[in-house]
Amino acid sequence: MTEKFNTKIAYDILRIRLGQIVINEEYKKGNFKIPIHLAFGHESIAVAISNIMENNDKLILSHRNIAYNLAREGSLKPIIDEYFLKPTGIMKGQFGSMNLINPSKGVVYSSSILGNNFSVAVGTAMAQKIMADDGVTLVLGGDGSIEEGSFHESLLMFKSLKLSGMIIIENNGWSMSTRIQERRAPLDLEKFLMSYNIKYEKLEGNDPYDYIKKLSNLRKNSLKTHEPVCIEVNVTTLGDWRMKTPELPDGKFINYHAGPTPSIDIKNWPNIIRENNEDPLFILKKYFEHSEFDEMLNEIKNEITKEIS
Amino acid sequence: MKYIEFINNLIKQEVSGAENLVLFGQNISAGSCLGGLTRDLSVSNNSEIINSTNTENSLCGFGFGLMMNGVSSVFFMKQLDFLLLGIDHLVNTFNVIRNTQFKNSEGIDLGSFTIFPITVDNGFQGPQSSLNNFADFCSIARIPGYTITNKIDAEKIISSKLISSGFRILSVSQRLFKEEIISPPELVYTNYDNSVFQYTQGNDVTIVCFNFSFPNGWNLYNDLKKLGMSVSLFNVNSTTPPVRTGGGIDWDKIISDINISKKLIVIDDSKSENIACDSLLQHIQDDLILKKKIVIKRFLEDDPEDSWVNPVSDIMIINSDKIYDELLD
Repeated sequence: MTEKFNTKIAYDILRIRLGQIVINEEYKKGNFKIPIHLAFGHESIAVAISNIMENNDKLILSHRNIAYNLAREGSLKPIIDEYFLKPTGIMKGQFGSMNLINPSKGVVYSSSILGNNFSVAVGTAMAQKIMADDGVTLVLGGDGSIEEGSFHESLLMFKSLKLSGMIIIENNGWSMSTRIQERRAPLDLEKFLMSYNIKYEKLEGNDPYDYIKKLSNLRKNSLKTHEPVCIEVNVTTLGDWRMKTPELPDGKFINYHAGPTPSIDIKNWPNIIRENNEDPLFILKKYFEHSEFDEMLNEIKNEITKEIS
Repeated sequence: MKYIEFINNLIKQEVSGAENLVLFGQNISAGSCLGGLTRDLSVSNNSEIINSTNTENSLCGFGFGLMMNGVSSVFFMKQLDFLLLGIDHLVNTFNVIRNTQFKNSEGIDLGSFTIFPITVDNGFQGPQSSLNNFADFCSIARIPGYTITNKIDAEKIISSKLISSGFRILSVSQRLFKEEIISPPELVYTNYDNSVFQYTQGNDVTIVCFNFSFPNGWNLYNDLKKLGMSVSLFNVNSTTPPVRTGGGIDWDKIISDINISKKLIVIDDSKSENIACDSLLQHIQDDLILKKKIVIKRFLEDDPEDSWVNPVSDIMIINSDKIYDELLD
């Protein structure tokens, strides 16, 4: 990977982070009529997926699709206008957030229903096979969605029909307000997939360059072998906060699920939210000189400010 | 010719020449081939026939995935109640695609997706047999859906809708499979989308059939004709036709006919509470004063021996002589 490429990836990640900060501020002011699921902390995997996509690839998303849509579109204005339901939105204000698609950029379907999109991805992959278009279908789910029967059904169909496909499971450990261990028995996804003889890969650490390299190889292999691959990505959805009450003066932990997060404020244009590898920007910063990173940040801030002003 | 043989022949004819077509469903080219519905199907080289996994929910999503990427498909389903597992897609996925199609068509070239379930209405089926109201499934998201009841509507509906851009559900009646297919001698009228058919025209009484009650209406028509009555016979094949100006069913032809006869017989064999014939009755209440209105519909019996939640014969029986007397009363 060249220096120019590394810089482009960094710009893409920063653009998604700062774009979400702007959206969060509008959200806090109550300016949106629609529900939005922010994805602070999901920037590395979103940029990596967007980067490995080729012309005929199809991306199928879930309700938490903001990072992917920002990555595919490459600019904030058409997305934020869509959230405002304006005709200048990427889908003319007809789709909002949870079902937002962008067919011209390969985002062909997004579902607000947990697990609904896996089978649509199987049909999309089958269409690609019939049309011999040399593309791969990529579908996104979360750790909550793998509890749905449709996940099991769709894996079986992907495998039985000998379809190329990348099933990406973002594991943030939560489904709304319950942790995995609070709601279900442990599920070893690798063993689960082994029973289907489907290749499994785990990504963690939020290094976008590592992700791109691995995902690119997995994509090529899936296309060549007509086999699906399932990729579990550990992510931390940032934006949690503590709600102080008279009974809990130290505050009750609130996991971020939807709506605005009060813990992130545009005043200081925070770039790194958490000083560990749970934050993609913390990882990204290691690849650049301090001044170089700040320069990129300023450039993106100016670009976004100009774009939305 | 038997009902199912006739329909099978029409399906074979439609699918044989289609390009980029996927026919799928459980056992569609194995065993009895869904009681003969899908027997001996063959498709062109770039199409496929798939004996699918038992994954009804995902098979619905699969069809929509094909459709939104320009590939046409038909999902044949052995029992209408299997479609209960796919309701999420009937509502949510269909509405997303409908939004894409109607509002933002750039880059999207929709294929055809037809779900083709068999309505299990032949009795002795126990709990699942209470689910015979085809319109229930169509109503939840105003999905275009059509019943197939005789030779004329089978030809019209299968040739125009089985493979045609967009989504719809077509259904056949299991109780009719081994019956000789009814062949009305003429078609007096059908509307723009084949949701309403008129087979006979008369001045004494108007019969309107819903769901899969056309054979009952046909028998009643013949009996009343023998008794000297002049009868108009209609069948409503769809209560959720495609969206058009004004929406809903085109009742005009039926209403004009009732205006002449002033006597109406409505037959609906659906077992659920919200049934399609009520929509017509509501229109009539608003618009017409009738001399006679006879509504023949189903009631869930208290007596377990007669209740369709048990495996009992639950075929609708109509006493033509009694109806005749009522009409003269």
